[in-house]
Amino acid sequence: MNWLDRFLAGLLFGLAFLFITAAVHIISVLAMRDIIDKDVFDRLSSVAHPVHLTLLPPPQPGHEFIPFEDPALVQGVCLYDLSHGPLRLHADVEAGQLLTLSFRTRSAQVFYAITDSAAQHGKIDAVILTPTQLEDVEADDDDDDETPQDLRVVAPESKGFVLISALAGFPSERPEAEARIKSVTCDIAQQ
Amino acid sequence: MPTFVKTLLLLLAGTAVGLCVTLVTLERGVDFNAIKAGPWVAFPKNGTADSDPYSRAILMRSGEIPLATSEGLSFIARRDSAGAPFTPGCDYNLQGQIPQARYWTLTLLSPKGFLIDTGTGNGADYGIESGEERHGFTSTEILRNNNGDFVITLSRHARPGNWLPLGQSSFVLLLRLYDTELGAMTSALNDRNMPKVVKGGCT
Repeated sequence: MNWLDRFLAGLLFGLAFLFITAAVHIISVLAMRDIIDKDVFDRLSSVAHPVHLTLLPPPQPGHEFIPFEDPALVQGVCLYDLSHGPLRLHADVEAGQLLTLSFRTRSAQVFYAITDSAAQHGKIDAVILTPTQLEDVEADDDDDDETPQDLRVVAPESKGFVLISALAGFPSERPEAEARIKSVTCDIAQQ
Repeated sequence: MPTFVKTLLLLLAGTAVGLCVTLVTLERGVDFNAIKAGPWVAFPKNGTADSDPYSRAILMRSGEIPLATSEGLSFIARRDSAGAPFTPGCDYNLQGQIPQARYWTLTLLSPKGFLIDTGTGNGADYGIESGEERHGFTSTEILRNNNGDFVITLSRHARPGNWLPLGQSSFVLLLRLYDTELGAMTSALNDRNMPKVVKGGCT
C-alpha cells in the first residue's frame, strides 16, 4: 500500500467518522422525546389527578419538579386523555385579575392560550377535542339550531394538559389567587 | 487490524462523539431565535410550534414549561450589564425601565432554574407560609420613589428598600412580563428599555 492509498483510506475513514457523528447528533436531538425518561406530562402526573383540576404545590427550594417556575404564580393543571372523550373546561373570571390558560401537548408545547381578557360575560368555556371528535360535535350542531357558545380547540395529540395560572401580586393575595384557580372546573364532556 | 474491527471502532467512536456533541450543545444552549437586550435574553418562540429542534430538545430535557406568547414573555439574565457573570459575593442594583406589561415579576433562581435557599427566612414579608424566603418581587409590591422609579438591591446582606437576598451559590435573574404586547414587537427592544443590572461592592 503506497502513501496515496493510505491517504485515501484515512480520508475515507475520516469522512465516515464525520458522517456517523453528524447522523447520531441529529437523530439524538430529533428523538429527544423518546430518549428522556419523563416528559412534562409524566412529571405533572406524579402530583396531579387525571382530568380534574389539581392545584400545583408552590415551588420551594429543594422541592421543585419543574424548573424556572415563578413563585409569584399560583398554578393548577388539568391533565387530559382525549381517548376517553373531549375535555370541557369552565373558568369564572374576576374582573382585572390576571388568569391565563394555556393548552399544551404532553411535552408542554402550546397549541392555544388565552387570558382573562378573552372572557365573555365573565367566563371562559372551552372544549378540547381531537379532529374526529370535532367532526362529531359539528355534525350534532347541524341538527341543533342553537349557536355553540363554547370555544373549541383541536389538540394535536390525544394526551396533554391545560395549565391555569393566577398571579398573587402580594403574598397576602395568595389565598385569593388559589381560590381563582380552584374555581376552574375540568371534566370529560358528554358526547 | 481487520477491516471489520476498524469499522466497528469507527461506528462506536462516531456514536460516542455524536452523543457528546448533543449533550454539550443542549447543556450550553443555543441562541437560535434569541432576542437580546442588554444582559437580558428571551426566546419568544420557545414552547410554540415554530421553535427549532434544538430549543425543543433543551426544553424536553429540562422539563421547563415556557410561557405561551399570549401569556407573556420571559427574559433571563446570566450576566450584569457590564457583561460579567453574576457573583453571589457582590451587590447588584437593578434599575431602569421595564417594558409595558400588565404585571411583571423578577425571580432569583439557580442557573438550572430552581429556587435558591438564601437562608434568610424572612418569609413574614413575602412567604407563602411562615418561614418562607423572598425569591423575587412583583410589580405590585415593589417600593417606588416619588417619580415612580425603583431600585431592587440584590445582596447577601440586608439592605433598605427592595432587597432581594442572594444565597451562597451562583444565580440567574428571570424577568417575566405578563399579558404584554411585546411578543409581537421584540425587534423594538434594546438595552435602553430594559432594566440595567449594575454591580456594586463585593465582599
